[in-house]
Order: sequence, then C-alpha cells, then structure tokens
Amino acid sequence: MSKRASNKSKKNKKPVIVSQAVASTQSGEGSPLLSGQQTKQIQELIDLLKKNSLTEMEIEREGLRIRVRYETGQRTMMATVQDPGMSVSSPASYAPATTGTLIEDTTGMITIASPIVGTFYRSPSPDADPYVEEGDYVKKGQVLCIVEAMKLMNEIESEMNGRITKILAESTKPVEYGQSLFLIDPTATS
Amino acid sequence: MFKKVLVANRGEIALRVIRACKELGIQTVAICSEADASSLHVRAADEKVCVGPADAALSYRNIPNVLSAAEITGADAIHPGYGFLSENAHFAEVCESIGVKFIGPSSEHIALLGDKAKAREIVAGRGLPVTPGSPGELKSEQGALEAADKVGYPVIIKASAGGGGRGMRVVNKAEDLARAFQAAQAEAKTTFGNDAVYLERYFLEPRHIEVQIVADHRGHVVHLGERDCSIQRRHQKLLEETPSPAVNEKLRREICRVAVEAVKAVHYRNVGTVEFLLDKDHNFFFMEVNTRIQVEHAITEMVTGIDLIKEQIRLADGHSLSFKQQDIKLNGHSLECRINAEDPEKFTPCPGMITKYSAPGGFGVRVDSAMESNMMVVPFYDSMIAKIITHGRDRQESIARMRRALDEFVIEGIKTTIPLHKRILNDPDFQKGHVSTSFLERFLTS
Repeated sequence: MSKRASNKSKKNKKPVIVSQAVASTQSGEGSPLLSGQQTKQIQELIDLLKKNSLTEMEIEREGLRIRVRYETGQRTMMATVQDPGMSVSSPASYAPATTGTLIEDTTGMITIASPIVGTFYRSPSPDADPYVEEGDYVKKGQVLCIVEAMKLMNEIESEMNGRITKILAESTKPVEYGQSLFLIDPTATS
Repeated sequence: MFKKVLVANRGEIALRVIRACKELGIQTVAICSEADASSLHVRAADEKVCVGPADAALSYRNIPNVLSAAEITGADAIHPGYGFLSENAHFAEVCESIGVKFIGPSSEHIALLGDKAKAREIVAGRGLPVTPGSPGELKSEQGALEAADKVGYPVIIKASAGGGGRGMRVVNKAEDLARAFQAAQAEAKTTFGNDAVYLERYFLEPRHIEVQIVADHRGHVVHLGERDCSIQRRHQKLLEETPSPAVNEKLRREICRVAVEAVKAVHYRNVGTVEFLLDKDHNFFFMEVNTRIQVEHAITEMVTGIDLIKEQIRLADGHSLSFKQQDIKLNGHSLECRINAEDPEKFTPCPGMITKYSAPGGFGVRVDSAMESNMMVVPFYDSMIAKIITHGRDRQESIARMRRALDEFVIEGIKTTIPLHKRILNDPDFQKGHVSTSFLERFLTS
C-alpha cells in the first residue's frame, strides 16, 4: 500500500521504443539484407540445383557462405547466408520474439516496451488515479507508469507526443524485459 | 527443499539444471535474452522471464534484471551454471543479502579463491605443492626479475584476477621480462580491472589434471577422482577424460588428498574443482580452484554415479553430504567431446541456422545439448552447442563408443568440431594416452 507511495527513491528509466516498421522487417528468418548481386547469385544456384536434380549445395568464398536447399517434395525453398562481418554488425537481425506480437492492424503505432524486469503499476499508489488511460494525449517526458524492480520505483516516461491507443499490461502484474506496455499513436495531436 | 529455482544461464547447462530440479520436484524459472526467446531451455522450464537484449552484459549478466526476475517469480534460489554470473562474488553477496540462496559457495569463498595469487599463497602455506613461482603478487620489475631468477626460465606471468587464458605472458629469458611484466599488467588492468600479476615456472608439455570435490557446511569433504583435460586449444578445453591415463592408483591417492586439504584450508563448501599441472616426471603442482560446476562435470557423474547438480542443490539447501569417501567407487572410463559451432581447422566461430540435428544414442552415450533442428546458433554467446559423453568398462571401450557416436551425430547447416574430434581419436599418441596441453598444436600443424 503505502510502501509504494512512501518510497522516495525514484529513478527515471528510458523506455525501449520499438516502431512498427522496424518490427515488421525484423520478423523475417534473420537473414541479413542481401545485395542485388548476391540475390542474383542465389537464384543462379537454385536454377543449378533444379537443373541437375540436386537437393543441396554450399559455396564459400571470402568469408561469405551460401547454402541452398531445394526440397522437391515439400516445394519449399530456403537460403541462409552467413557473412561474419555482416552478422556482427547487425545483431538486430535476430528477431526478438517479444516484439513479434506487435504485428496487428495498428499501422503507424509505436510500442512502448519495458526497459527492465519488474512489477508494472499504472498509478503512483493503490489509491491514486492511473497516470494515463486509453485515449489520453501524452507529452514527451510524461510519466506513463511505474515498473518496480528491487524495491525501486522506476518511472517510465513517454519518448514522444501522441495518444495512448492501448494499454497492454495489467497493473500489479510482473513484466519482463521488452514486454509491450503501451501503444501510442504519434500522429494524433490534442 | 527449495520450492522454486531460477536458472541464471542458457543452453545445455540451463537444461541440465532444469532436469535436475524436475527430478527433485522443484519448480523452475528460465531466464533468456531476446535472442534466446524460443530456446529449448526456455520451453523446458515451468516459467520464463526475458531479462534483456541479446548482449549478455545487458541480459544474462545484468544483476538487477536477474534478481528482479527471481523476485517477480518468487524463486527462493538461483543456480548460476558456469560462466556469466557463476564466479561473481558481488552477485553471490547480493543474493545472500536479499535472502535468495545462491547455489554455490559463499561470496567470500568466490572472492578469496578468485584471487589466484592469494589462493596459491594459502595452499603453499599449508605445505602443499604449488607451481614454483613468486610468493604472491609482483610489486615491481625488480621483484619480478628476482622471482624469475629463483624459479628458473621459462616463466609465465599471469593476471591474479585472470582466467580463461587471458592476460598471460610466457618469458624465455631475463631480457624479455620487463616488457612482458608491463604488458601483462596493462592487459590485466584492461581485461579484469585489476593490474595484479604473479609469475610461475612455465612447464613444457605438462598435463592438466583436476580433481572434483564436494564439501558440506559441516566440513566434510569428499573427492570424486581426477579428470584429465590436457587436450586444449588456446587454453580452452576441448576433450576430457576420467580416469587420466597418466595417473596410477598411488598418484591418484596423493593428488586427491592434496585437493581435499587445499579446500579444507579455506573451509570451502558446495562443489568445486582443484586444478593441477602434472609434469613429465609425474610431479604435480596446485594451480587454482574453480568455484563453480564445470562443463566437464558429466564424465565424473558417469564413473561415480553421482548427480553433481542435484548434490549441489542439496548442499546449498543446507543438507549434509549423502555419502562418505569410502562409498565412492570409480567405475570404468568416461570421455567427453565438446562440439563447438566452429571451423574445425581455424577455430573461427561459425554461427548460423542448424537445418538438421540428430543426436547419437545407444548404450553408454549421453548427449547434453539444447540444440534441435531449425535452431539458430546465435553469434552472441559461447560456441559450444553440445557435449557428447561416453562411458565404457575401460578407456578403449569409451573411445570406441565415442567414435561411433561422432559418426552418428548429424548437424547440418554449420561447421562443427566433430571432424577434429574424429582425427584426435584416431591419433596413435592419443590412443596410447600420450598427450599434453600442447598436443593439439602439434597435431594441427602436422
């Protein structure tokens, strides 16, 4: 009860922002973006496989490894590309599953995700009004909620102006790192 | 007994701990980074908490997030596995202070034995054999020169807070010592945040022999025999066996007695490993104590029949040892091959998608792995993806079993160390048991 209200050790944490556009490009199989020439080379390999009734082929050159597999039974095609330089510089290409749930019909929405592990609270104390409700307009820097971790109240602020279209977590319930808390429409203005 | 254990690790060791908890009737919580959200260890646990992004410093080693995960799930103990937070004295201390049991030794023991120069001093103070070297930390170049003259060249300079082969310098003659001393200090400072270094004699072609010990809070200490971990590359173990072909019954009694005395000297508890160097003339010297469960613990389990993870959990819960030294019988021979996602010749990591995975099986074969078909080997963590452990009546049988198991293992899509293990097992010197820590170097350049 008053435990939360009386705790003065408040820390501000920056929330993790995952935009819809980024999330959808990450939801693929984790293959880094290919150059036009690489795509063409892969297509040539696939043609070669088909022509010779082969099922699998692997080519390695200058640190780039291409493996192509063609399964006639299932009619599926898969190509994985490993480039040591590329995979180190773009670790984000391994799509985090927690953002996968974002893909709804909420085009243009921005998700505010929890930057820490803890307990989610919508209000500063059990008796107080929630910081925000669905439909509220919020300003950049405005406190949206608290995530309590190790007896510390971490206020989560909005990184932008916009309108809260959905509250995705339930008050007093645990949240994990990267869990979606709010959907914000950044184009809405009060 | 604990009601719920949070497993602060990933991959095969997380799965290993979850399996032990299930057998003990304990609920489990897995933690994961965003890169591991669909991993096998996450699905095997009763609950899971994502604790951060792919970068281990922000997830698996993120103390506030790991402890918050324990708090929100109501876990009463944390098993750290190996690596990550397993030898972090600060983490163990915070666990103790918030009333979550750290499954391992006390934070004081981790800190004390983590200081390698200090540990050597304590063990030498008991009249036990340590590698000839500087009594403690080297304070100056002059002190280093004097110590090196005394022990004789070549010498190796090591970081006191070090491990994993980092911060080491081999010096062959006095002229090179000053520069190596400064370089080792600088490297120790940047790598471990502590510039303390010490030196010891550098042995040519030694064997790495270690002794598994278990200790309870009443001061009972039991050893579970030795492991020979001489097959290494870049100071990292690749293949281990027990018993060692270089250790006879008399030497075993002696080396295990020293290991037990070394941990008794500091009133150690829980499981631990005492590492020794064995020279060509069968002289052995204490090197250090590892205060965690080790990757190669499974071979000791095979020959003793003791589940070391369950024993670890029971000991952390305040139970006494369930056996005495005379109850321990070493049965047959066991071998472990570490399968890494690596190029088997260049040792460069080889992350990527495993398109097909089929593990070997049958009598005397155990595979500890969290891999499966259509699983991504992500580039953020250790490259070890599986351990094959074989058990036979004797060394010959467990080698034959390992060769058969390596032939059965199918891992497609990435390169692994399987071909290298096959070459090692076919080597006449290995088959005769004639190996040292420089075996692999010699072997690979031939």
